[in-house]
Amino acid sequence: MIGGALQRGVTGELAPALARFGSTLRAHGIAATVRDEIDAVQALGLIDRDDRDEVGSALRIALKIPREAWTAYDRLFSAFWTGADLIEPPDLPPQPPPRERREPPRLLSWDPVRRRMSEPDEDADNPGGTREGTRPAASPQALLRRKSFDASAWTAQEMAAMERMLARLAHRLATCRSRRWVPSVGMPVRGRFDPRRSYRRALATGGEVLRFARRQRAVEEPRLVFLCDTSGSMDAHTRFLLMFVLALRRAARRAELFAFNTELVDLGRDVVAGKIRLTLDRLATRVLDWSGGTRLGESLATFASCHLPRLGGPRTIVVVLSDGLDRGDPAELASAVKRIRARVRRVVWLNPLLGDPRYEPIARGMAAALPFIDCFAPAHNLESLERLLPQLVV
Amino acid sequence: MTPEIVELLANLEAAGYIAEPATATALYLARATQKPLLVEGDAGVGKTELAKVLARLVGTELIRLQCYEGLDVQTALYEWDYPRQMLRLRIADGRGEDASALEARLFSREYLLERPLLRAITHSGGPAVLLIDEIDRADDGFEAFLLEVLSDFQVTIPELGTIKAEHPPYVLLTSNRTRELGDALRRRCLYLYLDHPTFEREVRIIRARCPEARGALPEQIARFLQGLRARSLVKPPGVAETLDFTRALRLLHQDSLDADVVSQTLGCLLKDRHDLEALSPAEVAALVASSREARS
Repeated sequence: MIGGALQRGVTGELAPALARFGSTLRAHGIAATVRDEIDAVQALGLIDRDDRDEVGSALRIALKIPREAWTAYDRLFSAFWTGADLIEPPDLPPQPPPRERREPPRLLSWDPVRRRMSEPDEDADNPGGTREGTRPAASPQALLRRKSFDASAWTAQEMAAMERMLARLAHRLATCRSRRWVPSVGMPVRGRFDPRRSYRRALATGGEVLRFARRQRAVEEPRLVFLCDTSGSMDAHTRFLLMFVLALRRAARRAELFAFNTELVDLGRDVVAGKIRLTLDRLATRVLDWSGGTRLGESLATFASCHLPRLGGPRTIVVVLSDGLDRGDPAELASAVKRIRARVRRVVWLNPLLGDPRYEPIARGMAAALPFIDCFAPAHNLESLERLLPQLVV
Repeated sequence: MTPEIVELLANLEAAGYIAEPATATALYLARATQKPLLVEGDAGVGKTELAKVLARLVGTELIRLQCYEGLDVQTALYEWDYPRQMLRLRIADGRGEDASALEARLFSREYLLERPLLRAITHSGGPAVLLIDEIDRADDGFEAFLLEVLSDFQVTIPELGTIKAEHPPYVLLTSNRTRELGDALRRRCLYLYLDHPTFEREVRIIRARCPEARGALPEQIARFLQGLRARSLVKPPGVAETLDFTRALRLLHQDSLDADVVSQTLGCLLKDRHDLEALSPAEVAALVASSREARS
């Protein structure tokens, strides 16, 4: 009876009992470190160990159980109290499901015989050819900029040029200033006078301030959160948009990447900085139902409840890459976008279809989400992405 | 229950803070183990109030550090009073004072501007209550710095040496969870999550804080609030809103809930346009009616 050991107050038995409780918690996916267990032993020494509720809440306080885990904790604690713990197997394995080790699919390499799970009517929805014409321009690069993403035949050189250009674009992002003041280095001429460091330096010159030290706003990148639609109707654009995001992520360390079609997948950990091709292959194994249908509202709602508390903030910018062709309830989409908007600096919606001058956002989902979007922009070629950059800066 | 916790609970109540036993347990453990207490919960559930009441109970000063983005060490810990130092230096120049004595004088406590953290550490005559409010608004760098201060309760000022706290302060940190706190900081504290009050507790809170609300009004208000919070709202009303609402109703000389008056004073409870729009007058009337009925 482990609970019994607590009640008898045998100090020698307290620590092993708590260590076992701690490992039970960990087995059920509740993080509890040795440090927390030490805190818990200390707390138990201070309270009435015969009072079940008091022991329960004291352990919850000392083990720092987050609100989300209270239900699980209460269940485990009552088992622990009666001494019946450790028997039931953990029903919530905290590890993510093992990654499928299969051949990197060829979905991303534009294999004409790619697996598709989309319905025929969805294809009908997709205008597909919403490209701007490849107007003649002064330089090959300018031509490249106008080339629409869904032009499926790209040569290796064009791809490389695109990657370089994207990487350069991304670099321009990483110079945002925060509100924090930090010491300037070198001999700055701008910034706010910093008396402390100025007088410190003056010691070396006999008390005369010869060089002013200054402080300036710290460079702090905004946190960018990308939500990429990988459904069938977005198929033609996904790879290029993902490449843009990955190139961005190389420069912007605080970029997060999620993919969604019927469910939301956090891709943050699968992204390898600077290795766009390797990453794309990895992503292909992670995203289930690649090129399938969309449940836009549901996916965004999952994002809002599971990831937004962690990622939201005054320096967060959420970018949704989707055509807004949704098979779910528009009201759900609207409320999800609204919730996201409430917690972040800006919501940008990139819609490749917008590049077509004839397009109007009348898809039900898109129309519902529109009031909560700060910037609704096309993303059908590099030029349009370049124009987007000011929106990604706080 | 441990007698100390029972006593603390009663004291909190006497001071006007109706707490759950878990809240009192957390306060007691934090005091006994000298660990900071991290309090999380929705806006308006009484996180800041807890610190104020604690200061009143202990009979000490409440030192408050409001966090914001860009908060730096100069604002949080200490800074030298440079203009005064410069003036003193110029005066000394004219008089030809002894250099080393002057230096010792210039870098003494006299010219040190104590900011909240240092003030809590140097507080004499018993520990102070240090409230670090909305720590989630400060940036990660400040959080790391705070970790250092909170673990040793000592500060090293190059010109003065190390200042160690005679009486380590009681530290309460609050967070609205606009961003996830670092694990290191979380692990160093004890953790208390404050929920919205239950019906019984809310009634007691209204009675304690707004004694002018008579009769069945507190029950009706509490039931109305429970019904309101059960809906999905962008910003569910907290205890602070409940009390505002009660006071508003009393100012309008109401002794029981009335659908019209509630609709007009709903702005005390719902502070979001979408929430207000989502609640139609008919729904308000239904909620009010059910809050009134349940009593009889």
